[in-house]
Amino acid sequence: MSESYEYLFKFLVIGSAGTGKSSLLNNFIGNKFKEDRCHTIGVEFGSKIVNIGGKSTKLQIWDTAGQERFRSVTRSYYRGAAGALLVYDITSRDSFNALANWLRDARTLASPNIVILLVGNKKDLEDSREVTFTEASQFALENELMFLETSAKTGENVEEAFLKCSKTILAKIETGELDPERIGSGIQYGTNTTKRLTAPKRPARTPSECACRV
Amino acid sequence: MLSNDVVENRRGPPGVNSRSLSSAHSAADLEILREIENVYFSSPVDFDAARYVLEHAPAPPTCESIEHMFTKLKRQQQVVSGKALHLISQQRDNCDKEFAEIQNIRTQLSLTLQTCRKAREHLRTASNHLTMSTFVILANFRKRQIIRSVLKCLELIRSLRSVESDVTELLNKKDFYSAIELILKSRKAAAAHKEYACITDLSNRLQDTLVLTEEKLDSVLSSLCFKFDKDVFTKLRKAYGLLGKTQAAMEQLHMHYSSAVNESSVAALKKYTGEASIDTKFQNLCASVPSGKAPACVLDLCENLFYIMRSYYLLVDWHSKHDEEPACTNVFDIQKNVSREYIRQKLKAGLLRIWHDVQGKVSIFLKSSGLEDYPFEKFVQILGVLRKLTQIGEVFCGDKSDVLEDFIKTQSVVYIQNYHRGRLEELKLFLENEAWEQCPVKSTFNLLNLQEFKQFKKYLNRSDGVVTKNQSENASSVTSQDDSVYVTKYFKYDTSSSPFDMFRNENTTNDDIFGLEPDMPSDDSEDEPDELKRDFVEENDRHGYATTGNNEALSPSKVRHSVIVANTTLSVLRNCGQYLQICRYLPQTALEVVVLMNQLYDYYFYTVHTFFTSDLDVSSTTLYTTKLTALLKRITNSLENGGSENRHFAGPEQPHHLDLSSESNLHGLSERIVAVESVIFLAKQYEMLQPYLETMVAPHQRLILEHFRDNTLAVVADLRTPVYMCSASKSVDARTALVAMSQVKWDVKNVAVEHSPYVDMVVRKLQVYALRIENISNRVTLNREVLNSIWTVVSKYVIHLLVEGFSNATKCSNGGRGLMQLDYTQLLLKLEKISGLKPVPHQDYVDRYVKAYYLPRKGLEEFVVEHPEYSTKHLVALVSCACENKKDRQALISLIEEKEIPN
Ligand SMILES: Nc1nc2c(ncn2[C@@H]2O[C@H](COP(=O)(O)OP(=O)(O)OP(=O)(O)O)[C@@H](O)[C@H]2O)c(=O)[nH]1
Ligand SMILES: [Mg+2]
Repeated sequence: MSESYEYLFKFLVIGSAGTGKSSLLNNFIGNKFKEDRCHTIGVEFGSKIVNIGGKSTKLQIWDTAGQERFRSVTRSYYRGAAGALLVYDITSRDSFNALANWLRDARTLASPNIVILLVGNKKDLEDSREVTFTEASQFALENELMFLETSAKTGENVEEAFLKCSKTILAKIETGELDPERIGSGIQYGTNTTKRLTAPKRPARTPSECACRV
Repeated sequence: MLSNDVVENRRGPPGVNSRSLSSAHSAADLEILREIENVYFSSPVDFDAARYVLEHAPAPPTCESIEHMFTKLKRQQQVVSGKALHLISQQRDNCDKEFAEIQNIRTQLSLTLQTCRKAREHLRTASNHLTMSTFVILANFRKRQIIRSVLKCLELIRSLRSVESDVTELLNKKDFYSAIELILKSRKAAAAHKEYACITDLSNRLQDTLVLTEEKLDSVLSSLCFKFDKDVFTKLRKAYGLLGKTQAAMEQLHMHYSSAVNESSVAALKKYTGEASIDTKFQNLCASVPSGKAPACVLDLCENLFYIMRSYYLLVDWHSKHDEEPACTNVFDIQKNVSREYIRQKLKAGLLRIWHDVQGKVSIFLKSSGLEDYPFEKFVQILGVLRKLTQIGEVFCGDKSDVLEDFIKTQSVVYIQNYHRGRLEELKLFLENEAWEQCPVKSTFNLLNLQEFKQFKKYLNRSDGVVTKNQSENASSVTSQDDSVYVTKYFKYDTSSSPFDMFRNENTTNDDIFGLEPDMPSDDSEDEPDELKRDFVEENDRHGYATTGNNEALSPSKVRHSVIVANTTLSVLRNCGQYLQICRYLPQTALEVVVLMNQLYDYYFYTVHTFFTSDLDVSSTTLYTTKLTALLKRITNSLENGGSENRHFAGPEQPHHLDLSSESNLHGLSERIVAVESVIFLAKQYEMLQPYLETMVAPHQRLILEHFRDNTLAVVADLRTPVYMCSASKSVDARTALVAMSQVKWDVKNVAVEHSPYVDMVVRKLQVYALRIENISNRVTLNREVLNSIWTVVSKYVIHLLVEGFSNATKCSNGGRGLMQLDYTQLLLKLEKISGLKPVPHQDYVDRYVKAYYLPRKGLEEFVVEHPEYSTKHLVALVSCACENKKDRQALISLIEEKEIPN
């Protein structure tokens, strides 16, 4: 593809089912909002190049299924994520209560320096709100998360959420707190900087000295 | 009076009239009167009474008789006189009356006379007066005439002076004809009045006005290009007719259309390029449209161009309606006809030219718009816009628009290839991140459950496998006819809408855009949403958060059906759905799309092989079937060298996160199972698509599909062996087992009763393996088929291990052979129990090998030649043990070694 970028960040979108993770991602990459979206199966993927502080950065975003049954599938995608949007639904107390579990998963499975932004989605449904801004802020504060309320329907704060998270990562790179070179950092240099596409590794065939011939 | 009397008397006796006299008197008188001779009543002129009397005197004139006669006469005279008197008196009144009358008449007469005289007098005066004033009048009249003509001249001059403003006014009222007429008339008038000095000046100005007016007409003409107004044009046409410039005007109009195409294209682009660019070169403008805005821009561009096409179409239409007059004979008319014919030709050619220009503009824009980088939805939309434009072109000039069609085709191919590169890139990412966890989908899951295939359900869901493509083809040709009717509607005068409006409507689906029939078969639409909602996910959720429970109930052998798919498998299938959608909208690129779709499969297949055979530590001649080897070679080639159309694309990098080395998880057996079984599932899904794909591609291209099916899809199960072998080969450590076997004494005299200890060791290992397999069934549903294939590989390994071990025996007696038989039979028996495979596959291999020992020399020779599956080492060992005769042994060994050389 004819795209060029300086950094590539691996992002996760996690949170309970139906909180609007896929909707957020789709809104971000420019698709239409759908009222009746199917649950995500496994993991879906989207990418977008954004400009952060003058640096074009490719976000590689993994949208995970929130349903319990997919937990084992989705967990395997946490590995080496640089950033995550932890999404709950402001109209669902349950989704808020589940945050602690999600957070523990993210902190243990993803890169330890993962930058997490708490997202209270469905801000447009103010009438059915079950989680106040204040208590969510409190939760974010206690867990050292950034926090935004968004609406995938109206698009409010969606881009901001991704950008804010990206900016923080970039800032951490610049202060040296994050090292892109470290494996599993979830950060890669882009096509603009150094082409690091190694040739396809041929599987190391060691035709056996092994006694067995099959 | 007398005569009257006389006359009366003549009529009758006078006595009749004197009745009124006293009767006595009258009676006597009457008698006397009667006695009077009639002669006396004669006129005195011819009667002489005296003479008469004398003549009639009595014969003897006696006195007496005379006397008597005298008396008598006297008496008569008295009576007559009396009578006369009486009569006279009697008539006196009448006379008086009469006289008065006369008198009266006389006065009247004199009065009349007087009137006449007066009248005469008046007449005379009158006649005198009349003659005089006539001359005056005449003189005055003449004067007036003169003044009038002067006035007219003045008025003319005045009107000439105001021609300019009048013309502007008329022009504003769009009354071009009158304006031109006015100017021409004025000019004529001016020419007729050259004698006035001021007129020369004026006529110059008139000329200017004419020029200006023509310019104005021209600008109105050019404005028609954007929106044709038949009334305005009719007026213009009349005006030009008056000017004698009908033909020239048409030429001019064509030029305007050309530049209108240009202008409106530029205008459409300018909206998007921003103010910054003053560059008007179309190509440069195109390049400066930001790529994100190109889809909207192309829509605007096409729409703008459509308006011009519509205008031109209406112009042609106008001409065909207004130029129907019959042929004429006189020279002037013939000339007119020639000109009309010329215009007709010109208009006809103009249709094609404008269409050509339009296509040119659109292609230039598309070429520089980086079409291939658009998101799929946008691309489809642009295709829709172009398709619509093609239809418009068809209605417009009946042209099939090869330029655009070709362009669409080539761009589609380029787009698809580019899109495909993106998908491959994404697939690579997916594969590199794939954890090969089984995705919990229902056991009946197949690709039809995916939303991407919703549209294809009716084509793919047929049990008979017959795909009714024809129906849809017919339908689409019908709709394309409808389309042209539909497009024609927009060529009418009174619509302000354009056929492109639909693209601005949020609710328009791609099917609407492409005029495809809606794809919801009514009969099975009911259960569908349900199924989609349930997400074809297993009902019983066992893999809950932090659940470590193992499911005893679900022992591997009990699971009949299960579908093993990985996340990436779903992603590939989703992509296939998208590819098929492209196909649907771009049937001409079907083959291309199918080939690319197959590449996705290839890549997935290749990756699974690469990832999961990287630690294969047994050499592999019989692990790979010929077809599998060929397939891998083909894919490797196409990846490394890149197909001609697909540039080099890197294979996936071995991910770090896959743990394929830990013994406790059987060296990643669960991942391997998910990987291999998911490819197999994927192949099945591809198979399902084949009948549909066959209908999509041209008949002569079906061979490619067939080839893919036979040489790629059909080979998929062969992948199990090498991949599972990676795990199976670690079930029993070869070195330990071989060492244990080498400790067995094979040169025993008697056949043993007890099998050798290494057998138990191997069996224990296999039991551990079986236990571990049981364990991984938490993570992956192991159906019989999977288990069987795993155990088949395990037994292959174990049996080969046995052969290897047996071949290590340098000395071996008949008793030793017996022991071998005992050992492997025992082992196979156990293996049969553990694996559930009956008979254990591959047991021939060891069976045959051990029994070959008993073969005579001739038999041995045949065996050696006919069984290349045993290695040289195995055969040499066999021969060494079996042949006591040294010469025979030598001969056979050289035979074996000879045979090895060509390999
Ligand atoms: N009103 C409103 N509805 C939303 C918003 N975001 C998502 N939804 C709706 O919420 C439902 C669930 O959205 P998804 O995006 O599928 O949720 P998800 O988190 O991806 O769900 P899983 O994939 O099952 O984990 C859909 O019907 C959306 O239309 C929002 O901001 N406002
Ligand atoms: Mg989702």
